[in-house]
Amino acid sequence: MFDASKLTNLLPLKMRSQTDAYLEALGVFLEIRDPRVLASLAPSGVRGLLLKRGKQGIPTQIKCSHTAYFDWTYPNDHPEMRELYTRAKAGQWDGATYLPWKTDVDPENPNTLILPQSFLGVERLEDYNVRLDDKEKHALTNSVATWMLSQFLHGEQGALFAAAQVTEAVQFFDGKLYGATQVIDEGRHIEVFHRYLDEKLNKLYQVNDNLFVIIDALISDSRWDMKFLGMQIMVEGLALGAFGTLYKLTKEPLLKVLLKMVIQDEARHVHYGVLALRDHINKELDESERREREDWAFEVSLLMRNRFMLYEVYEEWFEGRMPRDKWREFVTNSPGMREFRQVMFSRLVPNLRAIGLMTPRILPHYERVGLMQYFGGDAADKLSGEQLISDLDRAA
Amino acid sequence: MLPAVTRVPLPASLLQRLVRAVPQALTRKIKDLRRDLAVLTGAFAGNHPAPVTVRTRRTPPSSSLVATRHVRVKSVVHDTADALCVELEDPTGAPFSFVPGQFFTVVLPLEGETLRRAYSASSACQSPATVRITVKRVAGGKVSNYIVDSLKEGAFLELLGPSGNFVVAPNPSARRSLVLIAGGSGITPMMSILQSVLPVEPETQITLLYGNRGEDDIIFRNALAELAAGEPRFVLRHVLSNPPDGWNGAAGVLDEATTSRELALLGDLPETTEYYVCGPQPMMDAARAALRSRGVDPEKIHEERFSSPHLRPAAHKLTTSQPLTVRCGARETITTVGPDQTLLEAGLAAGAAMNFSCTLGGCAACKVKVVSGEVAMEEPNCLSSDERNEGFVLACVARANSPVVVEVP
Repeated sequence: MFDASKLTNLLPLKMRSQTDAYLEALGVFLEIRDPRVLASLAPSGVRGLLLKRGKQGIPTQIKCSHTAYFDWTYPNDHPEMRELYTRAKAGQWDGATYLPWKTDVDPENPNTLILPQSFLGVERLEDYNVRLDDKEKHALTNSVATWMLSQFLHGEQGALFAAAQVTEAVQFFDGKLYGATQVIDEGRHIEVFHRYLDEKLNKLYQVNDNLFVIIDALISDSRWDMKFLGMQIMVEGLALGAFGTLYKLTKEPLLKVLLKMVIQDEARHVHYGVLALRDHINKELDESERREREDWAFEVSLLMRNRFMLYEVYEEWFEGRMPRDKWREFVTNSPGMREFRQVMFSRLVPNLRAIGLMTPRILPHYERVGLMQYFGGDAADKLSGEQLISDLDRAA
Repeated sequence: MLPAVTRVPLPASLLQRLVRAVPQALTRKIKDLRRDLAVLTGAFAGNHPAPVTVRTRRTPPSSSLVATRHVRVKSVVHDTADALCVELEDPTGAPFSFVPGQFFTVVLPLEGETLRRAYSASSACQSPATVRITVKRVAGGKVSNYIVDSLKEGAFLELLGPSGNFVVAPNPSARRSLVLIAGGSGITPMMSILQSVLPVEPETQITLLYGNRGEDDIIFRNALAELAAGEPRFVLRHVLSNPPDGWNGAAGVLDEATTSRELALLGDLPETTEYYVCGPQPMMDAARAALRSRGVDPEKIHEERFSSPHLRPAAHKLTTSQPLTVRCGARETITTVGPDQTLLEAGLAAGAAMNFSCTLGGCAACKVKVVSGEVAMEEPNCLSSDERNEGFVLACVARANSPVVVEVP
C-alpha cells in the first residue's frame, strides 16, 4: 500500500532546504549597502543563485561588453610588468610531461590521503544526529576533496576567459605581453585539474552557485579594472588560499606537486593584478569610483568568506538527512574551512591594502565582520611563488 | 537636373535572412526562459540539478595522430656491434599501444633539418609501459648512425605512430600457421610478433627463416635461441651467407633458390599459412618469387618495405609553388604548396583536417584521392597498385607539379 507519510516527511525537509537557499540568497543581496555594487552584482546573483545557470546542463552564454585596447606604437610602458613577463616565460612547464601522471592515486590508502578526516572534523556530525561508519567518513572526506578540486577547475575556466579579456582590455602594452602568458597558464591549470579529476577521481561536481555569481559578474562587467579586481585580486586570492590549504594537508604525491606548480603560477597572477591596479586606482579613478570598487571588494570578500559551504556535497550526502542550515553551521566551524579562510584572507587583505582599496573609511566594516586580524602580511608584489611554497611547507 | 532618386530594394536573400533571424533569436530566448522556469518550479518541488557527475577518463591520451610524442630513452643496449636496442618510456606514464609488426616514426632534428625514420617495435605488445625499437647502422644513414653511435640513456626523442598494417594481432583462441622470412634488421617486427604471439596462442605454429651475413650479425641471436629452446611450436632457421667453420645451420644468400629450398624443408604447410616478409629489397623480391612459385596465394603474403630515404630517388626537384585545394567532406581548404613542401605539410599548415601517422609513405594514413592535377610521389611507398589505379596518393610524400585538387577519403 502507498505510504503517504513517507512523501510528506520528505517534501517538507526538501522544501525547507530550498527555502533556506532562497533566504540565504536574499541575505546576500540585503547585506550589500552600496546601490552601485548591488546593481552590478544583482543580475549575476539572480542567474547564479536563483536560476542556477551554471548547473542547467548546457553551456552557459555570458554577454561580454568590454573594450579591446590596441596600441600600434608598442610602447615599453611598464618595466615591472615586462620583468614579470620575462619570469613567466621562463617559468612555463608542460602539464603533460612535468607531472608524475603514472602515480597510482588510491583514495583508500591511509598513507596517501588526499585530505585528512580532520579537515571536516567528521566526528562532529554526531552532534547533528548523523552517524557514519569509518568507510563513510573516509568517502565523505574524499567527496570534499573532489568538490574542492572541481571548484578549482571551474574557477580556472573563469580565470582563462578573464585573463584573455584582461589581455585585450589592459592599457599597458607590457601588461598585454604578460597577459598572454597568463592565458596559457590558465589553460594548463584546466588541463591538469581536469585530468586529475577524470583519470584519478572519476568524478566532477557542478560549479558552486556562489562561484558562478562571481565569475558571471566579472566576465559580464564592461570595466577592465573590475575584471582585474575580480579575477586577479579576489578570485586568484581565493584560489591561492584554497590551493595553499590543500597543498599543506594532502599526502597524495601527484596532487602535491600539481598544486605546487599551480601555486607558483598563481603567485605571478596576483602580483600582476597588484601592479596593474595600484597606479590605476590611486591616480586615474575619482574618489566616487574608488569607493565603489572598495565596496565591491568588501562585498565579494564576504561572498567568498561566507558562501563556500560545500552545498553540492550536502545535496549528495545529507539532503533529507539533516537540515541545510545545520550543515552550514557544521561546515563553517570545521577546522579545514577555518584554516582556508585564514590562508585566503591573510593573502587577500594585504593585496587590497596595496592597491588602495582598504582606506580608513572601509576598515570598520572589515572590523565588524572579523577580518581585521589579517592586516599584517606582505602583498603579492613583495612575494614570490617560491616564498609562498616555503611558507606553506613550514606551516605543514 | 537632379539625379532621379531610386529606392534600392533590400536583396531578397538578406531580407529572408533577417526574417529568419528574428524568430531564431526569439526561439533561443524562449528556450532559455523555459529552462530557467523549469529550474524555479523544480526548486519549489524540492528538486535541483544533480550536484555531481561521474567521469571516466575522457582526457585524450597523449599519443595522437596530430602531434609527436615526447618520449625518454630508458635504456640502450647493443645487441650486435652494429645494432642498438633502444627502450623508450613516456614520462607521463602513458602506455605505448601498438599491434605487433607496427612501426614508430622517430622525428629527429639533425644538422639543421628535421629527419624522420621508421623503426618497428621489437618488443612484446603486452608490456606497453615501454617500447623497444632496434636500430642497425646503415652506410651513409644519418639517423640510424646517430642513434647507434650517440643516443644515450635519459635522452628524449620525438615519436609519431604507431603505424602500419604489417601486423599479427595476438588472439588466444587463434590456431594458425605463420612463416616469417626476415633479412638483417628486418627481424625487428618479427621479434615483436614472436614475443607477443607465442606465449598467448598455445595452438599456433611459427617458423622463422632469418638471413644474415655472419654469425656476429644475427640480431636477437640469444633471445631467439631462448624462444626456440624446448618449444616445438617455433621452428628457427638461420641462413648465413658467410658462415663460420662448423656452422650447422643453412648457408647461402636468401635468394630465390635458397628460399625455395628452405621452404621445401618445412614440409607441407596448411593452406591457411600466412607469410610475413621483411628485409632488404632483393631478399623480399626473392621471397615473393619463391612463394609464388610454390603456389602461395598473394593475399597470404604480407610485406614490410623500408627504404633508406638517403637512397630513395627523390621526386624530381620542383621550383615553383602550386595552388592546392583539399576537400574534406563539405569543407574546402584552398592554399599554396611550396616547392619544398609535401601536400600534407601544405594542407596541415592551412588548417585542413588531414590524417597522418608515419609521414614517411609507410602507413597510408594520409592517403588522399587526386581529383585533378599532376602529383609526383617519392618511391617506393606502401600504396597498393589498386589504390594507385583508383587515383590515390600519399600526401606525406607527394608534391604538386601543377595546380592540384585532392579529396580526403
